[in-house]
Amino acid sequence: MKGERLGEFEEFTLLAVRALGDHTYAVPIQQYVEKVTARPISIGSIYAALTRLEEKGFVRSTMSEAVAQRGGKSKRVYIVTPSGLRTARDLHRVRERIWNAITEGGRS
Amino acid sequence: MTEPHLPLVARWLLRLSSVPREARAEVQADLRELFEARRRDRGAVHAHWRLYHDVGSLWLRSGQIMQTPSPLSVLALFRDVRGDLRYAVRLFARQPGILLLTIVGLSLGLAIATAAFTIMNAAVLRGEGVVDPDRAPGVLKTTDRSTWSVWQYDEFLHLREGSTRMQVEAVFTDGAVVRTTAADVDGPVTPLTFVSGGFFSATGGRVVTGRSLDRADERRADSVPVVVSFVFWTARLNRDPQVIGRTIRVGRASATIVGVADRGFSVPHNALLWMPMPAHPAVYNSGPVQTMDDRPVEVFGRLLPQVSLAEAEAQLSAVAGALPRGATETESKLRVKLDTHGGLGRVSSAMTIAITVFVFAVIGLVLLLACANVATVLISSAITREREMGVRAALGASRWRIVRQLVTESLALGVVAAMIGFVFAYWAMPLIGVMIEAPAGADLAPDLHVYLFLGVVTLVSGVGAGLAPAWHGRGADLVTPLKGEGARQDRLAPGRLRSVLVMTQAAVSVLLIVVAMLFMRATFRAATIDVGFDPAGLYSVSAGLGDSTTDFWTRGFSELQSVPGIAAATLVEVPPFGGGIKLSITRDEPHRVVNLNRTSANYFATIGLRLVAGRTYTRDEVAARAPFALVSQSLARAYWHDQSPVGQMLPPEIPLTPGSARPMIIGVVADAITARLHERNAYAIYEPLDPANEKFGRLLIRVAPGATGVTELASQRLRSIDPQAEVKITSIAASLQQEASRPRMLAMLTGTIGLIAIVLCVIGLYGLTASVVGQRTREMGVRVAMGAEPRDLLRLLMWDSLRPVVIGLSLGAGAALLAGRVVVAAMFFGVSPHDPVAFVAAAVILITAALLAVVVPTRRAAAVDAADVLRWS
Repeated sequence: MKGERLGEFEEFTLLAVRALGDHTYAVPIQQYVEKVTARPISIGSIYAALTRLEEKGFVRSTMSEAVAQRGGKSKRVYIVTPSGLRTARDLHRVRERIWNAITEGGRS
Repeated sequence: MTEPHLPLVARWLLRLSSVPREARAEVQADLRELFEARRRDRGAVHAHWRLYHDVGSLWLRSGQIMQTPSPLSVLALFRDVRGDLRYAVRLFARQPGILLLTIVGLSLGLAIATAAFTIMNAAVLRGEGVVDPDRAPGVLKTTDRSTWSVWQYDEFLHLREGSTRMQVEAVFTDGAVVRTTAADVDGPVTPLTFVSGGFFSATGGRVVTGRSLDRADERRADSVPVVVSFVFWTARLNRDPQVIGRTIRVGRASATIVGVADRGFSVPHNALLWMPMPAHPAVYNSGPVQTMDDRPVEVFGRLLPQVSLAEAEAQLSAVAGALPRGATETESKLRVKLDTHGGLGRVSSAMTIAITVFVFAVIGLVLLLACANVATVLISSAITREREMGVRAALGASRWRIVRQLVTESLALGVVAAMIGFVFAYWAMPLIGVMIEAPAGADLAPDLHVYLFLGVVTLVSGVGAGLAPAWHGRGADLVTPLKGEGARQDRLAPGRLRSVLVMTQAAVSVLLIVVAMLFMRATFRAATIDVGFDPAGLYSVSAGLGDSTTDFWTRGFSELQSVPGIAAATLVEVPPFGGGIKLSITRDEPHRVVNLNRTSANYFATIGLRLVAGRTYTRDEVAARAPFALVSQSLARAYWHDQSPVGQMLPPEIPLTPGSARPMIIGVVADAITARLHERNAYAIYEPLDPANEKFGRLLIRVAPGATGVTELASQRLRSIDPQAEVKITSIAASLQQEASRPRMLAMLTGTIGLIAIVLCVIGLYGLTASVVGQRTREMGVRVAMGAEPRDLLRLLMWDSLRPVVIGLSLGAGAALLAGRVVVAAMFFGVSPHDPVAFVAAAVILITAALLAVVVPTRRAAAVDAADVLRWS
C-alpha cells in the first residue's frame, strides 16, 4: 500500500516535524532539514513532502491563530499522527537490524 | 503596516505559479520569513538567490503543494459532509419555522411530481408489455373509402390461414362478473380478454408461474383455461402461491388458472384475464351451437424474421382480397393496412406525446415552484449568513467548500422532503387512481422507474436550490460583512435574483389558478349542458348473463308491461353515456366523428327525442331489418345544408359495415349528446336494432315521475325470467353526473396545487420584502429625516416589492393562454380558454395575497423613527 511507504525525504520531513515539536510550520521545517542534511533544500520540496505525508495520514495540519510576526496572517501548522510515528519507528528499527547484521558480519 | 514585502518579481512569479489561490498568502508569508532570515544570516545576494530557487521549486512541483487533502478522498469527503450535515441540523434547529415551511413545500412538490410520474409511467411509458412492438403491427381492414380496426371472426380465420409472412392473431374483450371464491357474491364486471391461440407468443408475453395460452387451448373443449394478470393475482388472489390449478368462476364457466402473467404485461387495455376465444360461449352459457363468425375481433400480428412491413402487407392484402364475402359492388376490394401504432388498442403516439408533455409540464411547474421557494429561503438565510460566510472564507475555506456547505444543506432538506413526499404519494395513489378513473388493470404500484425518477428529481432540485444562493454569493465581498451590516446597498444582485424567483412563483401560481378556474367554470358549464333529452327517470338495464337466452328481452318486455310506473321501455345497443360506436369520416375536413346507435322503434319516444322531419322506423320495420336510418339535425345540416335529407341515401363517406346495403334516411331527430359529455358530439345516425343482436343490447326504461320502487320491482321481475341473470339497473342521470364531475375532479386537483402555489408564493414574497426592507432601514431613516411622509415610504416600498409579482402575473397569464389553447381545450366543455372571469379572478386572488404579504413588513419599515436609525448607525 502506498500509504505505508515513506521515502527518504519524507522521512526527514516527518522527523523534523516531530523534532521541532507539535504545531510547527513550513519555514522552521525547511530550516531544520537544511541544517541536518547540510544541503540546500527548496521550500517547494518541503510543501510537497508535507502534502504527501498528510495524504498518507502521517501528519495532520490545522490553521493556526494569526500571529503578529507574519503580518497577522495565519499559517498551516503540522503535527505527527500516531500512525506517522509508528511508521518512522518501524523504519528506524529495520535500519537498526540491518546495521546490526552488517556489524556482526564485519566482526566475523 | 511597515511589513517588508517580497521582491516584486518573486511576487509576480508566485502569482503565476500553480500554487492554489487560497494557499498563496501563506506561501508568500513563508517565503518572506525565509528571505528575511537568510538576508540576516548570509546577506542579500544569497537571500535573493535562494528565494528564486524556492519560487522555481514551487513552479516545478505544480499541483502537489499546499492542497487540503484531495477532495477525491472519499473518507475525507465523508467526514466533511458529516460536519456539514451536523452544521445544517444545528442551523435548521435555530429556525424551525422556516425549515418546516420549506420541507412542507418541497415534499408537496415532490409528492405531486411522483404521483404524476407514476400515472404517466403506468399509462404511457411502461407500455403494455408487448415485446418489440414495432414488429407487432395492428392489422386494419381498408377499402378505398374507409378503414376499420375490427374484422369478423371468420375473416380472421381466413387471414390466419392464408398468411405466410406474419403470425396473425386476434383479440376481443367482453366483461363478466368474476368470483374468486364461493363466498364472493357480487362484484363489479371484470373485463375479459378473449385471445386466439398464438396471442402470447405473438406479443412476447411471459408468465411468472404456470404457462401461457397456446393453439392447443383453442381446441380444448373439456375445460376453460385462464391466464390472470399480475395485478389480478395481487389484488384478487392475494398472491396465492398455489394459484395454478385453482378454479375461479368467470361468468357462468368454471375456469382453471393455468398461469400468471409477468408484471407489466397487460395487453390490451390493462387486461386482467386472458381466455381462449372458444371459451366465450361457455362464459356466457350460450351453448356450442352459437356461431362466433360474426363476432368482431381486433387483429394484429407478429412479422416473421426478415420480413418487411410492406411485404407482409402485400401478402395479407392478397388474402383479404380473396375473402368470400368481403367485397361488394358498393365497396372496392378489401385490403390490409399494417399499422405499427394501431392495433391492440395502443394509444396513438400523438396522444402519448400530448399526455407526456402535459404531465411533464405540470411536474416541472410544481418542482420549479418548490425549488424556487427553497431557494428563496436559502438565499434569505444566505444573506443573513453573509457574515458567517465571510468568516469561513477568512479562515481559509475555499469557494468549493462554501458551496458544498450550501448544497449539503439543501440536499438534506431535499432528502427529508423526498421521503415525506414519497410516503404521501404512496398513500394518495389509490385515491388519485379513483380520481382519474384508472382502469382496474392499471398497475399504479411504484416500480424502479418511479424510484429512479424520485431520486433524480430530489438530487436535481436539492442541488439546484443549493446552487442558487451559491451563485448569488459568487464574487462576494468577504470583508465588508465582517465589518458590520448596512454597507451593502450598492449590491443589487441578491435582490434581483430573489425577485426573479418571486416572479417565477407568481407566474406559476397564476397559471395554475387560471387553469383551475377554467375547470371550475367548466364544471358549472357541464352541469348546465343541454344534452337534448331529460335524463331524470331514465334507467339503463343490463341483464349480464341473461343475454344468452335470445328471447330474454321479449319475455322481459311483457313482464315489465305489468310493472306500474314504467312509462316507456326500449331496447338499444348503447345506452346514453355508455361509450358507443364511433365512425370516423376521414375524408371530411375537418375530420368528423359520427356516433352510430342501433335502437328499437320506441327509443326516440322513450328518451324524448323530438322528431324534426320525416318519421321514425316502426316496430315492423325493425323486425324486418329494413335499411332505414335516422340522422341528427346537426348531421343533416352538415351534409344537406338547407335541404331535407329525407328520402336520400346515407352519403358514401360515412363508413358502415361493408356488405350491408346503404340505408335510406327516413327522418331527422333533434340533436342529443349521448356518447361522451365532453365531446359534445351531436352527429348521430340511428339504425334499427337487428332482432338477432337484441341479446347484446340494453333495455332503457323511463319511470313516470313520482313512481317509487319501480327499479326494484323491475329487477325482481327480470330475475324471475332467468334466475341467473345479473340484472343491473343504472340511472342515466347518475351517469351524466359522473360525466359532468370529471372537470370538477380536475378543478379540485389544479385548484389545490394552485392554492399551494399561492401560499408558497406569499411565503417567498414575505421573506423577500422583510429582508429588503430590513436592509433599507437606514435609507428610510434618511428619507424621513429629509421630510418624506410615511405614506410616501409605504408607496415606494410596496411598489418595489410588488413589481416582481406584477411581472410574474403577466407572464403566468400568457402561459395560461397558451396552455388553455394547446392541451386542455377538450376538457373545458365549451368554456373558452380565454375566459376573462378566470383571468381576472386569478389576478385578484394573487394581488390580494401579495398585498397582504407585503403590507406587514412594509408598514413596520415605514413607521421608522429617523432619529433612532441615524443615532444607531
